[in-house]
Amino acid sequence: MKKSVVLLIAASAFIGILVSARQALAQEAGKEELKVQLPKPMFIGTPRNISSPNLEKITGKPRGAIFVSAGTKLVSLNKPVTASDMQPVIGEVGLVTDGEKAGEDGYFVELGPGKQYVQIDLKTAQALQAILVWHYHSQARVYRDVVVQVSDDKDFVNGVTTLFNNDHDNSSGLGIGKEKEYIETFEGKYVDPRGTKARYIRLWSNGNTSNDMNHYVEVEVYATPAQ
Amino acid sequence: MNKKAFAGLFLLIIIGAAALRFFDLGLRPMHHDEANQAVKFGALLEKGEYRYDRADHHGPSLYYLSLPFARVLGADRLAELNERTIRLVPAFFGLGAVVLLLLYVPLIGKERALWGALGLALSPVLVYFSRFYIQETLLLFFLTGFVAAVWRYKRNPSWTWAVTAGFFAGMMYATKETSVIAFGSIAAALLLGSLLRRKTRGDRPALGKLGRKDTGPEDMDLEKPARSEQIQEEASGAKGARRRFRADILMGLGTAILVSILLYTSFFKNPRGFIDSILSFKVYSVRAAEAGFHVQPRSYYLRKLAFSKTGSGPLWSEGLILILAAAGIAAALRARSRKEDRSFLIFLSFYTLVSTAAYSLIPYKTPWNILPFYLGFILLAGTGATALLHTFRSRVIRAAVFLLLAAGFLHLGAQASRAGWNYAADPRNPYVYSQTSPGFLKLVRRVEDMAAVHPDRENMFTQVIAGPYETWPLPWYLRRFGRVGYWTRADAAPPPGDASVLITDTEQASRLESILNTYYQSEYYELRPGVFLVLHVRNDLWDEYLKSRSGK
Repeated sequence: MKKSVVLLIAASAFIGILVSARQALAQEAGKEELKVQLPKPMFIGTPRNISSPNLEKITGKPRGAIFVSAGTKLVSLNKPVTASDMQPVIGEVGLVTDGEKAGEDGYFVELGPGKQYVQIDLKTAQALQAILVWHYHSQARVYRDVVVQVSDDKDFVNGVTTLFNNDHDNSSGLGIGKEKEYIETFEGKYVDPRGTKARYIRLWSNGNTSNDMNHYVEVEVYATPAQ
Repeated sequence: MNKKAFAGLFLLIIIGAAALRFFDLGLRPMHHDEANQAVKFGALLEKGEYRYDRADHHGPSLYYLSLPFARVLGADRLAELNERTIRLVPAFFGLGAVVLLLLYVPLIGKERALWGALGLALSPVLVYFSRFYIQETLLLFFLTGFVAAVWRYKRNPSWTWAVTAGFFAGMMYATKETSVIAFGSIAAALLLGSLLRRKTRGDRPALGKLGRKDTGPEDMDLEKPARSEQIQEEASGAKGARRRFRADILMGLGTAILVSILLYTSFFKNPRGFIDSILSFKVYSVRAAEAGFHVQPRSYYLRKLAFSKTGSGPLWSEGLILILAAAGIAAALRARSRKEDRSFLIFLSFYTLVSTAAYSLIPYKTPWNILPFYLGFILLAGTGATALLHTFRSRVIRAAVFLLLAAGFLHLGAQASRAGWNYAADPRNPYVYSQTSPGFLKLVRRVEDMAAVHPDRENMFTQVIAGPYETWPLPWYLRRFGRVGYWTRADAAPPPGDASVLITDTEQASRLESILNTYYQSEYYELRPGVFLVLHVRNDLWDEYLKSRSGK
């Protein structure tokens, strides 16, 4: 009994010394941790209820001019579109290339929740000069994990080039992206394909800041004929 | 209707009202205002600190009445509270308002009370705000009690009803200073009711029979000169009644003032509190009239209640209550009604009209301000439903009317369920106002994920640099984090590189763009529709996080 009590006291003393030593080591001689009093949040009344779209200031500046090679044309208009969700919640996939970019209801297709893609078949390989994507712009939103890939393989197994990827935590599993997230506006998102030659364009997204659904108002692909 | 049937039906209504109020209280993300109130309550809970702020946040009753709920549920600190715990408070008082309709049975009868209770239980707007940690449902509860107590006193004068009315009045004032609108509407309705009564009598009323049950001082003509012994006796009785009436009024007023003083002064710890509550009228009267964020047209409340449909969202309507209330007013004016019923129903009609007009005329409007005047609509709707059922003699037609009413109330219940659950944070719900988006909770989860891989865990240094309207409800969601600082501008904050996690609004993010682009990984999150917060995670912590994910 006595022995166990002695052992217990010794163990406690040892732990105590260890803890104090750790603290002592953590403090440089003559110095101690600065306890900063952090400012508290200001109490304030009810914020404005935003009933109209895009009332809040969005700091994105207007996009400058886009320069492309001479002879560049819109090649995606009315081209066939397929999608990972061929039974959209709202609209149909054909809306993606129908040339209508209005933000109202009736102009966008809504694909199911989570990771989804739409794919445009340009019918022939082209030298891509510019891709513009309008996910949804009647309300300020950010779409998650936007990835734009091109390929000549309709199944995107071989020869896949990734032109844009802002999936910075790789939650969609297509690799870690370095591009920044952006707020949707009526200007659409410009992706520079740098003249990459391809027939198929696949655009991924993984829900948005308002809900888990995926939307496309329009995708425009500009290209010159492949040499 | 016999007592057992009434008790059974009332119990069923209570069960329904409870089901709509108490389940899934944590479902909806905390609203800006709820978070404000909850963090203020946290200071009272942890340190016993509450000081009335005449510039905002209304009265103290919400905080003091939250204390027993927190204690019973074992929460002693803000960090131990959760959404369910604090929303239990309005849910409890929302249910309490339904129970208080029992006080109305002697005033309007069992049948009307049952229909009224059903309306209170199932009204979407009442259900929605019974699940919302702000003062309005408490105000509704105390208002329901006050109106009942005043009229029970009028029917059967006694000091107990006077003190009860005083208690409810004091609690109304201690809940919201702006309850003066309801007090003013009640006073105007009493006056208008009295004028109408005199006009319909065609001459001055006869001397009241003293001591008679259900006779209040308003029925007594205290100035009529005595012309015989009998009249003299009655006059001396009238003097006694007048003295008792004065004493009762003094007791009621005293109770109301005492309750208000106790709460506004934080139980005498802040003696200025009560005076500040009176000085707040200036603040609120300026805010009510000024052109600002919340200015809405006069028809705002009635349109919201009558019909609402936004985009692809469902149709919302409490039109049934409005129509039945109109029928109730018509029934109140009908000569066949019993005198006692009629005087109360006429008062109720005037109260509803005056308070609706008052709230509608004030330019500052938010959906929760519907509650105080909507009580009148619902009670009148109970009267309207009863009147409608008794209009027809044919049993078949009565059964058809009953089925129609049942279907209408069922539809109200379905909308209430939709408002509280599927559309709890959806802007297509007419009662959703500046609501935090569900996507905001992903930001909170991300911060928690970062803390999980940070060596300091929940003591990691976190900076919030955002305008006050963009800051809330962050302080509530970050309540368990030890080192969080809040700044409204980047130039007033320490260099952002010190913080492992930085949360900014979009404006401050653009000011810090170069630093953030170099040292941080940034993500957007929707705070409210059209309003974003940007979460920035320092690259070293982000790499740790990615490593932890790849290890799984």
